[in-house]
Amino acid sequence: MSTTILGIESTAHTAGVGIITSEGTILSNQRSVYIPEEGEGIHPREAANHHSEELPKLFKKALDEANLSSRDISLVSYARGPGLGPCLRTGATAARAFAYSNDIPLLGVNHCVAHLEIGLLEGAKDPVLLYLSGANTQVIAYAAGRYRVFGETIDIGIGNGLDKFAREAGMGFPGGPKLEKIAEGDELINLPYSVKGMDLAFSGLMTAAKQKLESGYSLGQLAYSVQETAFAMSCEVSERALAHTGKTELVLGGGVACNSRLREMAMTMASERGVKCFVPEKALCVDNGVMVAWLGHQMMNADYQITEEDNVVNQRYRTDMVEVTWR
Amino acid sequence: MKFRGAEAIVETVEWNGQIVVSKVRNKRGYRHPSLEKRLVVERLRSESRIMERLLSRGISVPALYSVNISDNSLLMEYIDGSTLEKALREKDFKNHLVKTAELLTMIHSCNVVHGDPTTSNFLVTDKIHVIDFGLSSISEDDEDRASDLRVFLESLDSHHSEINGRDIFLSAYTKWAKSKPVLEALKVLELRGRYNLMRG
Repeated sequence: MSTTILGIESTAHTAGVGIITSEGTILSNQRSVYIPEEGEGIHPREAANHHSEELPKLFKKALDEANLSSRDISLVSYARGPGLGPCLRTGATAARAFAYSNDIPLLGVNHCVAHLEIGLLEGAKDPVLLYLSGANTQVIAYAAGRYRVFGETIDIGIGNGLDKFAREAGMGFPGGPKLEKIAEGDELINLPYSVKGMDLAFSGLMTAAKQKLESGYSLGQLAYSVQETAFAMSCEVSERALAHTGKTELVLGGGVACNSRLREMAMTMASERGVKCFVPEKALCVDNGVMVAWLGHQMMNADYQITEEDNVVNQRYRTDMVEVTWR
Repeated sequence: MKFRGAEAIVETVEWNGQIVVSKVRNKRGYRHPSLEKRLVVERLRSESRIMERLLSRGISVPALYSVNISDNSLLMEYIDGSTLEKALREKDFKNHLVKTAELLTMIHSCNVVHGDPTTSNFLVTDKIHVIDFGLSSISEDDEDRASDLRVFLESLDSHHSEINGRDIFLSAYTKWAKSKPVLEALKVLELRGRYNLMRG
């Protein structure tokens, strides 16, 4: 029997409500993004205020678009971490209110795992996930009962790094897409390339870029060079993870995976290695409620037993803390 | 013999009438050509310098015959031995573990960290040799050294869970005068969530 699952996302900038059927048909994907004040980064409380104002509207919009009433929903799934405390609590509160008032089961899931699982909807079976977002930069693959982190950033997330550089250059949030637009030329400015085994570091790269900007290099050429360097590092570590695990599929996820140059590089790397590359559509790469709903469905479909702990938010809910019981 | 890794193709070839090992780093089409060139030179240089440093201190690494930046290749001595991974399935495994720990202390005392000392990167003949310096670096940082120990112990754990190699290996490593802070750093490293969970 087909069921309908509603998912709530609120880990950082994005408030999202998505609805998907148990067959994987997306009925609605509503999102609203908190934009910080000019020249500032994310303020957790302000973002949470944004989410608490937007989420009720998003619920209504999603149900309207899907042409459903709240009684038609069989499971409410929300991202219980990792993320910013106030934002997570706002999403959890909205999820509880909606689930309890309509007598629907409620499940809190891991945000990073949701990014990976939505990639499986594209047809990948057992991939390596290159997950590049604001705060998260990880290379993840399944091994012995868990999604394991084979490599990750040892300082800042790639997206936060890009945003920060863009902010220093006078561009507002989100900075990554703005850098992509102004990136120009084909000449590379030398910047630190920091790969340690399967781990990455971005802060030195972004600081060097900022210094070069101050010393008079052109912003367009720097944006180009930052992208070339940071994305090559990301592709290299995912290549290592592919070689190490022997897996033959690569999935991209996270907001930075919307970048066309990154997509192009990942596809080149995959074809050189003879592996398949799956790139979800942009609306599913960025933070969204659909992926949260889909993961909730996967878990419940495999008779996952909800515990009390599953409905408590966890700011530091790591990918590899999740015991994968549904595959 | 031919082996295609993430980083390079390693194979035996004939050179001046003898069998040697050639290591050619793969070209990455996704990387900007000038970045590619810079990395190739940096990595080739670092790998060969580290091998030279260890050779000159009398540590058993393959002798280096040729470093060629234009075609991105290294030629080195072919060591006809079995990997430690295989050798640890033999009776003599305790002795091998002690010798490997001693070898690692010698590498560390040259201020080199190997970066990837798994049981497949040691070869056993009448003695133990260490190979593959693709991820090596110059460092006297205790945490870097501890990370070498962790990589080795992890590969023992995943391939040789039947022998209790950890204690034998660590007690041999402890004989090195500078080992104390390294073992302390190892404790901290192993307590970090990721590595704990990686064991899972």
